[in-house]
Amino acid sequence: MNYPEELRYSEEHEWVAVDGPRARIGITDFAQDSLGDVVYVELPDVGVNVMAHASCAEVESTKSVSEIFSPVTGTVVEVNEALNDAPEQVNADPYGAGWIFVVEMADPAEVDSLLDAGGYRALVEEG
Amino acid sequence: MSGSLRRSWRLVDHVDRDLDAAAQMAADEALLDEVAAGAPPALRLYRWSRPALSLGRFQPDTDADADACARLGVEVVRRPTGGRGVLHGGDLTYAVAMPRPAGPEGGVDQVYRQLAAGLIAGLARLGVAAAVARHDGPAGPVCFAGQQGADLRVGDRKLCGSAQVRRAGAVLQHGSVLLRRLPFDETHLLAVRPGAPVVSSARLHAATVTLEELGAPSRAHQVARALVEGFAQALDLDLRERVGSTTRRG
Repeated sequence: MNYPEELRYSEEHEWVAVDGPRARIGITDFAQDSLGDVVYVELPDVGVNVMAHASCAEVESTKSVSEIFSPVTGTVVEVNEALNDAPEQVNADPYGAGWIFVVEMADPAEVDSLLDAGGYRALVEEG
Repeated sequence: MSGSLRRSWRLVDHVDRDLDAAAQMAADEALLDEVAAGAPPALRLYRWSRPALSLGRFQPDTDADADACARLGVEVVRRPTGGRGVLHGGDLTYAVAMPRPAGPEGGVDQVYRQLAAGLIAGLARLGVAAAVARHDGPAGPVCFAGQQGADLRVGDRKLCGSAQVRRAGAVLQHGSVLLRRLPFDETHLLAVRPGAPVVSSARLHAATVTLEELGAPSRAHQVARALVEGFAQALDLDLRERVGSTTRRG
């Protein structure tokens, strides 16, 4: 299982890559592995306001539909339209081409409350 | 003292409840919402008074052949869960709503495995040796034409297909156990997607099996009773109907 050091993580198994006020968000390697083959991602709309830890998107795998939560509060400014044609990128490259949306954060300091790679690894491996 | 340690689940016996397809899905979704709000886990059992085609949560509407469905008197309904098109009417359907277990035990496959143990134990009471299916990967539009790790097979033929949705810390899993065949099947009701492989009725028939064909008891009440006993045994549950459940009154 892969836990990139440079990312922050939510307890709901999303990752966050911070670039100034913007947070790029996807689901973790553990999450994609748990879900199995992803066949559809219901993306949030660009421009919607999202609350930290509130559901804002959904991912369907071959046998499950699961919510995706925004780890941070802010406004969705970009979504990964490529997933409409290639949802399997969530499985193949969860931290890269499988990113899901970008949030312009209301308060970038909110990221400090998220888990670091070690904390997330402990959550996954120790339950 | 040992009895008091068994987990307590609600049993919702809707085998004789005459609900249309939309009401069936609403009842399952209500179970999920109740559990998400703190109600105890529940097992609901029901059958379909009229044939219905259920589409997965995000499956395109155009997958259903509306003319064929209307001609054959088949209701079309959307499930809250993932997966592909399923024809109901010859099946007994189960639904389980439970809190999502914490940690790795809450994974999709782990929950399927836990509930599969209940289904397998129930089917064993009918003399049927079912096993967890192989995993084919993403499926075409006909659910029962492929096998996923969530399904149960007898030999290499699919007897039970299941699907999940996870919301607000709770899981809803429901699935169909094939009792007997109807005069038509999913291949008569689902439109062919451009460029997608065509699933023939013969191929679907060969990939599936019903309890009736297995020579096992296939009356809905008897199968429902066996599944209740199987879940109680395999998951160590105190499983009974309770007065006051909103779903029972629904």
